[in-house]
Amino acid sequence: MNPKEYKYTPEHEWICPEPGGKGRIGITDYAQSQLGDIVYLDLPAPGTQVEQLGKIGEIESVKAVSDLFTPVSGKVLEINQTAIDEPQVVNQDPYGAGWLVRLELSKPSQLDALMNSDEYDELVAKLREES
Amino acid sequence: MIDFGGWELPVWYTSILQEHKAVRSQAGMFDVSYMGRIRLAGREGGALLDKILTKPAQQLEVGSAQLCLMCLENGGILDDLLVYRMGADQYLVVWNINNTEQKFNWLLRWAGSNPDVIIEDRTRDTVMLAVQGPAVSQLENLKGVYHLPWFGHAQTKIGGISVFVARTGYTGEDGFEIISDAANALPLWLSFMEQGAKPCGLGARDSLRLEAGMLLYGQDVDTGTNPFEAGLGWLVDLDNGEFVGKSALLEISRQGVKRKLIGFQVEGREIARSGYRIFKSGSEIGRVTSGGYAPSLGVSIGLGYVPIELATIGTDIEIMIRNKPVVAQVVDRRFYKRGAK
Repeated sequence: MNPKEYKYTPEHEWICPEPGGKGRIGITDYAQSQLGDIVYLDLPAPGTQVEQLGKIGEIESVKAVSDLFTPVSGKVLEINQTAIDEPQVVNQDPYGAGWLVRLELSKPSQLDALMNSDEYDELVAKLREES
Repeated sequence: MIDFGGWELPVWYTSILQEHKAVRSQAGMFDVSYMGRIRLAGREGGALLDKILTKPAQQLEVGSAQLCLMCLENGGILDDLLVYRMGADQYLVVWNINNTEQKFNWLLRWAGSNPDVIIEDRTRDTVMLAVQGPAVSQLENLKGVYHLPWFGHAQTKIGGISVFVARTGYTGEDGFEIISDAANALPLWLSFMEQGAKPCGLGARDSLRLEAGMLLYGQDVDTGTNPFEAGLGWLVDLDNGEFVGKSALLEISRQGVKRKLIGFQVEGREIARSGYRIFKSGSEIGRVTSGGYAPSLGVSIGLGYVPIELATIGTDIEIMIRNKPVVAQVVDRRFYKRGAK
């Protein structure tokens, strides 16, 4: 199940809001299951300014490469070195140890327009039905 | 599931990495029924094979097999295939999924209307499984054929089911390939699963063969490549009889090749995928034909054609990975060698 307190994008990224206008972002369980074994992550350097729904990195699985988009605008505070060193952690624990980027949000109100977990559950159920 | 030349096949069952590792450390199993299986028989079936293959099939002993190529008149590779000698006038050809119609037309063209040549497509009415990995000899199903040498084959039974078993494969590990009537597909599959062979999809098949430096037809070689630039000269016998493409291949071998298929290892972990451009000192020198993550080695590897003068092991090259030049080195194409983990 997708965590209740997270927010989601139709591109299968999540953001976990933290106090003080910060948040961790990552990819959803559905995204990791579609990508298969992840072997390489290209993440933005700390300090980078990123724009909502802009491309901020790449996720390479054995099968294919896909772009990583940010759910909200902000400044990169840190990136998950564990995930860079051992990308399989993103497959194993996409909502926890497999987080990717921690941001300082520049427009926290952008969170309101993202999907909540019920809406995202519904989207995934629909996608799984179609395939 | 993907459409693979008209066959619906999974890229993975559980995970490409897990399946890859199962084959390297235990045993994995692939449904390779999409490979073409053609029976050649008749008094002149062997002579037809000798005429169109780069190694004489009639020199094979009954019970053995060999890898060879089928080339066009200009030396381009129409396919790489395995020929099994089943009996005095009985051969089995196992070839790739590509260019099937063109290859049948090719066989028919060189067979002409010879009544002493029988060509029978057995692909649709048989199943073919590849069971691969160091633990295959411990599988009860294969106990009876463990004496077979590499490329040896025999007719036997597995749990009462009649099968043809050959000690062959495309993974760089020990292994067997099993052919039986299509109706036996499920009982055979389940029986191997029960004994611990892990089902493996196309993803692991590709990563295993790439690590072992084996070429994929349609990607690393095709009708536009010749055996010598692909490093497949060892499959071409220029010393014996005549065959289609021989005069062109003699000429190519005499002149030497201008480019060569190399193995390379990327310095970072980005994957150099098929079609990416290869550079040296700012100039484009070739293209990646296959590339991927090597699970047994933990590095990013690939194959590609470069000019012969840049094909030396140790040469630095650059691969353009999504508009970013990434450094790589030319290395031995057999990235993974069995027993040398």
